Amino acid sequence: MNCSAPIDPAVLADYWLAALTEAEQESVEQHLFTCDDCGARLRETVAMAEGIRNIAQDGTLLMVVSDAFLKRAAEQGVRIREYCPPNGGSVECTVRAEDDLLVGRLESDLRGAKRIDLRICDPGGVERFRLPDIPFDPSAGSIAFQQSITYSKAAPSETIVARLVSMDDSGGERLLGEYTFHHRRTLPGPGAW
Amino acid sequence: MVASELNVCELADAELVRRIGSGSAREAEAELVRRMVPRVRLYGLRHLRDQQAADDLTQQVLITLLEALRAGRLRDPEKLVSFVLGTCRMMVLDQRRGTQRKQRLLEQFGADLLAPAQSFLPQLDYGQLRRCMQNLKERERAVVLMTIYDEQTSTDVARFLSVSESNVRVIRHRAIHQLRDCMGVVA
Repeated sequence: MNCSAPIDPAVLADYWLAALTEAEQESVEQHLFTCDDCGARLRETVAMAEGIRNIAQDGTLLMVVSDAFLKRAAEQGVRIREYCPPNGGSVECTVRAEDDLLVGRLESDLRGAKRIDLRICDPGGVERFRLPDIPFDPSAGSIAFQQSITYSKAAPSETIVARLVSMDDSGGERLLGEYTFHHRRTLPGPGAW
Repeated sequence: MVASELNVCELADAELVRRIGSGSAREAEAELVRRMVPRVRLYGLRHLRDQQAADDLTQQVLITLLEALRAGRLRDPEKLVSFVLGTCRMMVLDQRRGTQRKQRLLEQFGADLLAPAQSFLPQLDYGQLRRCMQNLKERERAVVLMTIYDEQTSTDVARFLSVSESNVRVIRHRAIHQLRDCMGVVA
């Protein structure tokens, strides 16, 4: 790269996402029409953005998702299987070959929470992993999380317990909700790992 | 070495413009087109969000540029970027209005000369990108997805996360840098 004043890749990403002011955009475009190094850097950014779009749709990430995300996915023709066990209750669930996304919706009163962690536990309460400081809309009344569809299609029948906990400044936890998912395997494969 | 002795690849854009304006300069035209194609195409992708539309825009802009340069209508060669950018903006508006360009112009200037590059975007290791995305913090990943996939504005993202818009920008920038580092992209 030979550019003497390279544009920050994050600014190039903002340019691509139409998140710059008009003046900033003008400045970036003037530069891009004289600098192929930054053009190459922008192409890397575009390729990464395209990759992220593909990954968002392939359902392989374990993450909290927004309603806007689910709406967008549905508009793109992505097939979503969603389970919504009651707070303190359980649901029988499975995943089929034609499903693209697997989502668990956890309903709870989120108002007043500053930070929420999502804990995924086994039936004995042992934490398998934790998603700390998850994004949430306090007024939404629920959190949707996506389980990896690849994992779910391959996983044997099992029970997992999702726990939403509100974290205070001293690290103390308050249980907001507990949800049990009885996953039953319906696709061919091993009975256990 | 004077400009007239240099290979066209070594000439500044403005010098190519001068050569094209001074008469028969097929090599200078080809070199200017070679340089401008990826730049205009990127502009087209950014504003039209469609590869075919970006390719069409590239052809239209370069036809207009070569016409203007051959006719000597760009009086100050140093204003090349302004001219190309202005043409891009005008033609994006035209494309959005659904304007079709004429095939005869393509034939006149040569479809081969203006053919789009085949591999425009670099290849990515999607497996690695998936791991990099999974490794982001929850809020960073949410901002990246809400911006890139959901196409939400910073205002919407800020409202959802209960943070300021400037904070959203900081989180997004941090995430982009982390993803690039994780992907092993040179800064």
